[in-house]
Amino acid sequence: MKSTLKNPAVYLMFIIPMIVLYGLFFLYPMFSSVFYAFTNWNGLEETQFIGIDNFKTAFGDKSFLSAIGNNMYFIFFSVGIQIPVIVVFALLISNVKKLQGFYKTTVFIPSILSTSVIGILWGFIYDPDIGPIAAFLGFFGIDPIYWLAESKWAMIAILITNAWQWVGFYIVLILAAILAIPRDIEEAACVDGATAPQRAWYLTVPLIKPIISVVVMLSIAGAMRVVDIVLVMTNGGPAGATEVMASYMVNKAIKYGDYGYGMALSIIIFALALVFTAIYQITLGKTERTEY
Amino acid sequence: MKRNAMVILTLILVMSTFSAACGDKNNNASPSASPSDPAAVEPFTVSLRHIQIGEPQKFRKAILDDVVKKTESEVPGLKFELDGIEDAVNRFTKLPAEMATGNAPKIFDLFGGNADALKYAKAGRLLDLTPILEELGLKDKFLNVFAQFTLDGKIYGLPIGGNMEGVFYNTEIFKTNGLNAPTKWDDLIKAADTLKSKGITPFAMGSQAGWVPNMLVNTVIGRHITSGFPNGLTDGTLKWNQPEIVAGYAIYQDWVKKDYFTKGELGKTYDDMLNEFAAGKAGMMFDGSWRSSAFKAAAVAASLEGKVGFIALPAINGAQGDQSSINANYGNGYGFSSDLNDNEKKAVTAFIKNLYNDEMQLRGLIEDGVLPSMKLSEEALAKVTDPLVKQVMETMSKASSSFVHYDSVVQKAVNSESEVQLQKLIAGKATAQQVGDALQKVQNTENTKK
Repeated sequence: MKSTLKNPAVYLMFIIPMIVLYGLFFLYPMFSSVFYAFTNWNGLEETQFIGIDNFKTAFGDKSFLSAIGNNMYFIFFSVGIQIPVIVVFALLISNVKKLQGFYKTTVFIPSILSTSVIGILWGFIYDPDIGPIAAFLGFFGIDPIYWLAESKWAMIAILITNAWQWVGFYIVLILAAILAIPRDIEEAACVDGATAPQRAWYLTVPLIKPIISVVVMLSIAGAMRVVDIVLVMTNGGPAGATEVMASYMVNKAIKYGDYGYGMALSIIIFALALVFTAIYQITLGKTERTEY
Repeated sequence: MKRNAMVILTLILVMSTFSAACGDKNNNASPSASPSDPAAVEPFTVSLRHIQIGEPQKFRKAILDDVVKKTESEVPGLKFELDGIEDAVNRFTKLPAEMATGNAPKIFDLFGGNADALKYAKAGRLLDLTPILEELGLKDKFLNVFAQFTLDGKIYGLPIGGNMEGVFYNTEIFKTNGLNAPTKWDDLIKAADTLKSKGITPFAMGSQAGWVPNMLVNTVIGRHITSGFPNGLTDGTLKWNQPEIVAGYAIYQDWVKKDYFTKGELGKTYDDMLNEFAAGKAGMMFDGSWRSSAFKAAAVAASLEGKVGFIALPAINGAQGDQSSINANYGNGYGFSSDLNDNEKKAVTAFIKNLYNDEMQLRGLIEDGVLPSMKLSEEALAKVTDPLVKQVMETMSKASSSFVHYDSVVQKAVNSESEVQLQKLIAGKATAQQVGDALQKVQNTENTKK
């Protein structure tokens, strides 16, 4: 057995199929995407090389620029509103003495539901005729709001739904980090007379900064490639108000049959996601290892 | 020796895993298919994509099921693999992707026109049906319905039936509110104003999918253009931003401002539109004649059985086109893959024979309200008893001319842009003129392509 494991042929035998599969299902599609991004391929007719025309079109395409703007909303909402809420909830749950498991499970449930289910569920919640929000507003004599039908509300409605789906997942991540902090550190702070908010702000949050940094990065990456919740709830409407880069790319490539342009958009999305996460990592995301 | 045995065993394991994964599912077909047995036949499957899903389509699904059953019993070894998906998903997402990758089903629901059937036919993806129609003696049995499916004299799709788009109105609500059947433009406007004042939505509308409000816009534009609509859009003789077309969009915008449509229509689906009308919350609904089957016993809107009237859009005051012209289409039917073996071709031929005949066309008309695409005898047509279907047929027969929906003529990018622009108009983000200008820009780009 030992001599078998020393034989390079055995390792090659296991590695080669994986390399072949990786090449077939990852490298080949990726490089062919790059190739088609420089063509006017419509999926049916002969491909013509058109240089960087698709990229020039993309940066002059108002609808795509508007979609980039909508992805920015996702980033700002995720990082600016969602993450502070996540940290606060994680701190609260970490201090619960009884039924902590129940709270953890409850907040985690939305992240295991499929996006289609969540889209339909929230579609009902937002429904201006039969939804609970409309009923609640009606109780105070307020007219129903057409959440998913009006441009001014649709984006915020989707952002809230998306946040509801994912906060639980991130709360559990941060909670794990909080619970990993040795109790004696907090007890020492208690002895020194620090109040609960002071302990949270000056002790816990700095100690969990590395995991918060990871959550921020995951949120940025998630916000750049968000698509399913948009397709389920509004399909980019009303009138393009909730269109994001990925939904626009899907529509262009498949619905319009403009695969060349769609491929170019996918490369731009990839590049933007890379740039945003890299900028964050280089600037704010730099964290040092926490030593207890 | 031990080491070599280990290597060989690992190799066998890897190879067997691959061969198991790549194995043909037909390999474990019926063991009875022995070449020595003359009665045995090799089983084979034919994929069939249809859009007859959900309650509203149950009548036409029943017809399809019967055709499938009959065809399977006639062609030895045949088993259809039915794949039912939603209409828009098939037309705009799944079928285009399958056509691009060359793995479309063998039989599939297909729309005619430049953006669908003709595009796929040019790329060699569709079966030329001309020889099959000749073999079955069917060619002359169809009405003049192949315009959107014919390329270079060859037929690439078979429309299952026809339809016209017009106004369904709730006769009970009209009677209660002292309103006439809206056969004149002024009656229509008066009805809309009266219903609105009574807290009833004048027109149920679900514009989440742009094609739904586009039906009305298309008809209104058709009434404003004197000739050449919609083909003139692709040959450049008509412009989206010319006054007649802008006038069509202006009417829609005016109606939005007057709250004639369902509040929050951009968040409502096509099904929501029917539900609102069926629930008696709306007095009218602009829709295709195919909807007539919804208002009969055991159908989704059975509560309105006998309480719905149908008319063509009334003559529009001041419009320059032919005011008794209707928007009528034979644009939807079945297409077939060009990639067929002999067995599959036999199955396709039998499927066409069983679906496209007097019996099934009459069933489609009587059970489902779909106007036939084939010539039916007066005797057969006399069997139609549904008053709503009769109204649709009478309305069609009274029309002096007809025009097709522009989505079967213009390029896909233009059609998609028309939906986006109309939604912007509804949302108050664009004026009628801006919609026309934006559309013409896309049309120009598409017209310059081959």
